[in-house]
Amino acid sequence: MIVQGTFTFAGPRATVWELLQNPDVLVKALPGAKRLVRAGEDRYEGLMQVGVGPVTAAEFAVTVSLRDKVPPERYTMEVDSKGTLGFTRGGARVELEALADGVTLMRYTAELQVGGKIASVGQRLLDQVAKLMTRQALDALNNELRARLAGGGSP
Amino acid sequence: MKPAPFEYHRPGTLDEALVLMAARAGEARPLAGGQSLIPAMNFRLARPAALVDLNRVAELAYVRPADGGLRIGAMARQRVVERSPLVQRAAPLLAEAMPFIAHPQIRNRGTVGGSLAHADPAAELPAVMLALDARLEARSRSGTRTIPASAFFTGLFGTALMPDELLVEIALPPLPPGSGTAFVEVARRHGDYALVGAAVVVTLDERGRCRDARIALLSVGGGPVLAAEAMKLCVGESPSDEMIRAAAETAATRDIDPPSDIHASAAYRRRLAAVLTRRALARGVERAGKG
Repeated sequence: MIVQGTFTFAGPRATVWELLQNPDVLVKALPGAKRLVRAGEDRYEGLMQVGVGPVTAAEFAVTVSLRDKVPPERYTMEVDSKGTLGFTRGGARVELEALADGVTLMRYTAELQVGGKIASVGQRLLDQVAKLMTRQALDALNNELRARLAGGGSP
Repeated sequence: MKPAPFEYHRPGTLDEALVLMAARAGEARPLAGGQSLIPAMNFRLARPAALVDLNRVAELAYVRPADGGLRIGAMARQRVVERSPLVQRAAPLLAEAMPFIAHPQIRNRGTVGGSLAHADPAAELPAVMLALDARLEARSRSGTRTIPASAFFTGLFGTALMPDELLVEIALPPLPPGSGTAFVEVARRHGDYALVGAAVVVTLDERGRCRDARIALLSVGGGPVLAAEAMKLCVGESPSDEMIRAAAETAATRDIDPPSDIHASAAYRRRLAAVLTRRALARGVERAGKG
């Protein structure tokens, strides 16, 4: 499955970059993320609880590694997750471009393999679920960005 | 394939059911026909702590006329609605769509309210309700709300229902005079999830011009999608092949962002959406002319 798109963040590139590398921010932005901790240089481990429609609280142990970092322009992410209902494996390329009016354009392309029960039963829905979760995560990050720029920060 | 343990409640009245839903808000799931929830539980995809079985709540199973339209109880079986002469007269779009829902065995158990509350993106009934501008009544211990279909469906399996609310009734307004309706869909085999479907209501004025057109598409997004741009294009026009073709292209290119899966790519779904919208509009116009 390929998930790609663009998203415009309402703030400067350096701040967006910093948010994207901060597990404490990501754990709040990623839908269903219960825990996300640094497990080494550019490596994170966590737990996600995904619930969509009839699927309630499918738990996945997630490992994320960041590669090819060129701050604050681009990086690639390798994602590996396993749970009782299945697994996902894959990578994503993320690029950030500073636009003239102080906003940041993100381009992302992820290629994911989904397997196990969740894939055999829910195949027809994976694309929609991936789109929905990506959208929710990016909106949440953008809200966090706005809050920081407004001077509120996050507790 | 057995479900994880759960508490089972079987109320005999709506009031009892609402008390149970309030007491276990967020933990209890209502059980209607069980044609989606029970398989999900057996696969252990769904693990509700409690079920509130509505199958003995007889007061929710009815189809009756109301002010030229219809009122359908949430627990009315799909098969009953399919065979109702009342539905065929007052809501021919609903009658035409019913046989596309899965198979007769499933429609014998499946309910109208269950399908709407489940809100599967490939389901027929949500799109039909959107096209008919139905009003859905939700009830909880704290009161009753009426939600237009356009606000009821909020995305992938999403509805406006609160955790302690039950969908109790669907009210269909009377079709305006000069209306024609049509439902079409394509699935790989009859009874499979639709690759794309279209539900259309066309209303012509005395001079044969399009007073209103409602086009709802299914299986092209997170929920049923109203093809708003295409609908605008029809209003005020004399229905012609050109108008129908233009509206269908607009629906497919501007109103939807369809998903890809192993059965159909996004591009194929777009193509299907154009073809099915064209067919449904043409049929709706033809039927409006006769009506």
